[in-house]
Formats: sequence, structure tokens, C-alpha cells
Amino acid sequence: MTGTLILQGVASGLVTGSVYALIALSLVIVFKSTEVINFAGGEFVMLGAYVAMFFLVFLGLPYIVVVPVTAFIAFAVGSAFDRVVLDRVLGRHRPGQSIMVAMVIATVGLSFAFKGTVRLFSVSDNVRTLPPIFSTDPVFLGEVVLSKQDIAIFLISVAVMLLLFAFFQFTKVGRALRATSENPRAATLVGIPVRRMRTLIWGIAAALSAVAGVLVAPKLLVSPDMGGVIILAFAAAIIGGFTNVLGVIVGGIVLGVIENLVGLFVSSKAIAIAPFIVIILILMFRPQGLFGGAAPIKKV
Amino acid sequence: MNAIDRRWWLGGVGLIVLAAGLYLGAPIYVLYVANLLMTYAVLAIGLDILLGRAGQFAFAHIAFYGIGIYTTALITNNTGLPVFVGIAAGGLLAGLVGVIIAIPATRLRDVYLALSTFAFAEAAQWVFNNWDSVTKGPNGLRISPAKLFGHTITDDRQAFFLVLSITLAVIAATVLMNRSKLGRAMSAIGQSEHVAMASGIGVQRVKVTAFAISAVYAGIAGGMFTLYQSFIHPDSLGFDLIVLILTMVVVGGLGTLPGVILGVLLLGLMPEVLRNLREWQELIYGLILILAILFMPRGIWGLITERRQAWQARRVAARPSPVQDET
Repeated sequence: MTGTLILQGVASGLVTGSVYALIALSLVIVFKSTEVINFAGGEFVMLGAYVAMFFLVFLGLPYIVVVPVTAFIAFAVGSAFDRVVLDRVLGRHRPGQSIMVAMVIATVGLSFAFKGTVRLFSVSDNVRTLPPIFSTDPVFLGEVVLSKQDIAIFLISVAVMLLLFAFFQFTKVGRALRATSENPRAATLVGIPVRRMRTLIWGIAAALSAVAGVLVAPKLLVSPDMGGVIILAFAAAIIGGFTNVLGVIVGGIVLGVIENLVGLFVSSKAIAIAPFIVIILILMFRPQGLFGGAAPIKKV
Repeated sequence: MNAIDRRWWLGGVGLIVLAAGLYLGAPIYVLYVANLLMTYAVLAIGLDILLGRAGQFAFAHIAFYGIGIYTTALITNNTGLPVFVGIAAGGLLAGLVGVIIAIPATRLRDVYLALSTFAFAEAAQWVFNNWDSVTKGPNGLRISPAKLFGHTITDDRQAFFLVLSITLAVIAATVLMNRSKLGRAMSAIGQSEHVAMASGIGVQRVKVTAFAISAVYAGIAGGMFTLYQSFIHPDSLGFDLIVLILTMVVVGGLGTLPGVILGVLLLGLMPEVLRNLREWQELIYGLILILAILFMPRGIWGLITERRQAWQARRVAARPSPVQDET
């Protein structure tokens, strides 16, 4: 009996974990190329869910149209934020000083601005859900039960990850983005427009978070505070050492599974604290992440 | 008496007149707001020691504030000790937890320091919410009126002078600390860790000390809170509060004491001014943060000092130079 429960927990964990992995990926690609921790990452998730709700519920459009449109809108918002705000903050930055404080303040400001904007609409007064992406009919995999929708969420997440991987690996722009994140100065020398690449990566990350928001909406409830899911993505990113993309994906899935198992075997109250404990423990004992090699030493 | 001395005297006399006026004449609600603002001031000054001076981006401040509130409240509720004992205990406990957190956390890169302290603050809020036997969890904890030498402090007017004297003591301690060797070491680390290390400053030790002082301030602010509030709920110790304090520090001017106090006054009074626009508050705070970091990265105080310097430079330039006259 316990065995089945564990399997069930793992299976459900894989589904939510794959979405956490998407959100964590959006944090990591931004961090890798801009050294900014996006504290507004969760609010892009929330924004995605609300934008999708607008098209799905109020305009009655089908998912197949809504997901790309939502991604596009998020892309526009994310890249605009980089262009209008971050680019200027960076432009004024004096060498030697940490730009971290200014960047964190800017993204925290953005997260509050998003939350505040959504709260102005009366839709946000009640917690809502999106219509199911797929039928919620149960599917039996051995002794484990998942809904068709769960399986769709998992498959779509994996597909998005593969798409992202292919983009970074095989397209010219994707390779330019990787070059930028590895060494911005060298990238400038070979003619890559580094500034535009930063803007592009913010757009892509925002789109990724928004799609994750649409996927996670049937699982979490849609509310202005749903951005709190970002803490799971932070934990996933930390497991991956904030740089190792594969590690981050594994981290997201591990967290989804941990969350489900803690809920099943410890208590539902303990779910909320699990990611913080993961973050604190990993940072105390292996700050480079579970998958990173030795901590890189930065020269002055 | 030189100009600086005169400024101090004028400021001191002005402050006494203002405080006495508030105490005697102000309606009770105004005194409540004044008490709240002074509590925020102590929180903001503490955060600024860590963030503005030592340049360490830590988000744990509200956890220490909560520790201070709960410690003082529990001592007041369960013993007849004078409230200063409770406040001191709250400050010390917060400082102790601060040191325990700081020793591993300050070894981390800036990014990870922000994340780990953020996680710690969230975990602390979870503890306040779930340690039912001590904090009464989500029901909130009722705080009995504070006792001091046989008196019981029952309203904001009676609490006012206590809160004011603690605030002034904290400001004075901060001014002294900033001028001390420790304060200069912190500034050095904030400017450049490598240079500070090369100059023989024990970077790790100073960072932990800054962390501890900042935590003690937050714990004391928690104790101040119990002087005029009769109830604490864990929901009020969340991320929103740290963002409010952060906004005060950033808008006022990171690393400048007068700037921080100015920021506390401006942003602390804003909810009173915008009382009819409650649903706009979050959006307004967000926009203020973004605009502040875009257009006045050194805060309002930075703008003021820049203006003053420019004005002085112009005055010097306008004065006919004797050397030039001769040539």
C-alpha cells in the first residue's frame, strides 16, 4: 500500500515538477546571461495565467491559440522591462560596485507593480481556475492514477524544454545568446549585439514563465499571489547551481516529488516549508549546487 | 560655537518642541502613526547598516523583527518584569539568531546571500504561523500592556516617550558606530570587498558583526512594537513588510542616515495620504521602487547633497579669485 502511495506521489510530483522546472529555467537563463536574479519571475507566471484566462474565459478562444498569444504578450512585456528599466540601470553602473542591489530592487518593484495592477481588476477578487487543458478523465498506469490533463501538462513541459534546448543548440540566435552568457566581452568582439541579446533573453524568459503559468494554473489556483510559486523555482535553480541547465530541470522535478511526498507522509502544513529547507541546506553545504563542479573562482 | 554645533542645537531644540507638542496636543491617532514611524525608522536604519553600509543584500530583517515582537510579548504576557527586560531580551535573541544565520550566509556570493536570507525569512514566518503552543499560530497573539516600574502603558500617548527615547538612542548609537573603526570597516567592505581584505580588514568578522547589529536593531524594533500594539499576527510579518522597509531605505538614500529617516517619513506617511486608494498601494510601491532606482539611484538624500554641492561649487566659482585678479 505504501509502495503505491509513493509511486503515486512520484507520478504527481513529476507533473508539477516539470512545470517548476520550466519556471526555474526562465530564472536561470536570465541569470546566466545577465547576472540578475529575477524576483518578478513568479509574477510573470501569474501574468501568464491571467492573460490566458482573459482569452480563454472572456473571449472563448481555444488553448492552441491562447498559449502562443500569451507567450507573445509576455515576451513583449519582459523585453520592454529590460529595455526601459534594466538597460538604463546598467548604463549608469560604475565598475567595481555590485549592481545586484539595484537589479534586485528593480525586479522586486516590477513584481509589486504587476501584483498591484492585477488587483485593480475585479477578476482578481476571487480565486479562479482555468478551464482544463485536457479532459480530467483518469488514466491508469499500473496502480498509479493520473488525469489525462496531468499527462498533457507533463508532455507539454517536456516539449517546451526540448524546443528551448534545440533553440539554444542549433539556431544562430540561440548560439549567440549562449556566447553572450559565457563571455559578453568576447561576444561583442565577434559582432554579437550583446545589448539586444539581453533584451531577447528577458523576453524569452518571460514567455517561458507565462507558458508555465498557463500549465500550472489548473493545479494551483489563479490569484494575484500565485507568484509565490517562484520559491520552488528558486529552490530548483539552487539545486542546479543556478547555471547547470540539466541540473535545474532535475531540481524542479525533484522538488515537485519532494513536495508531493512531504504532503503525503509528513503533513500538508510542512509542504510550505520544504523548499526553504532545501534552499538553506544546499546553500550551507553545497552552494555551487548538486550538479556544479568545484565553485568557480572569479578573478578580481 | 561653529555652524555644525549650532545646527545640532537647533535640531535638538526643534525636536524637543515637536515631541512635547505631539505628546500634549496631538490626537491619539497621530501619536499612533508617530510610534509606528519610529519603529519603522529603527527597522530601516538596521537594514541600512547591512545593505547600505556593508553592502550585504539580506532579506532576513523581518524574521528578526518577528523574533523581537514575540520574545518581548511573551515576556510581558507571562512575567511582571519591566518591559525594558523584554525589549533587551528580544534584541539579544534576534542578534544571536542573526549571528547563527550570518556565519554560513556571509560566506556566500551576493546572489546566494539574498536567496538564503529570503528563504530564512519565509521559514521564520512559517514557524510563527505553526508553533501554536508558543505563538498561538494563525490565531495571532494578544500582547498585554507593557509594565514599567509599577506603571502600565495602556495607550499610544504613554508609549510615545518610551518609543521616542529608544529611537533617539538607536540613532545616536548608529552615528557613533558609523564614525568608529567598525563603521569605517563596514563602509570599506561595501565599497570593495577585495580592497577591504587587502587592507587587513577581517571581512568575514565585520560582515557577521554588521549582520548581528542589524538583527539586534530589528529585534529592538519588535520590542518597540509591543509598547503600543496589543496584537500580532504572523501574516503581518511577510515579504510585503520587508519590501516596504526596503523602499524607505532606497527612496531615502542607501547608506545615509538622514536619507533613511527621510525615506521612512515620506513612505510611512504615504498610506495615510493615500488612505482612499488602498487598492492602488501595491502598484504605487512597485512603481516608486522602479522609478527611484531609475532616476535617483542614490535616493532623495543623494539628490539633495548633489544640489548642495553644485550650489556651493557655483558660489566658489562666482567669488573673484585673488590670483586671477593679479594676472
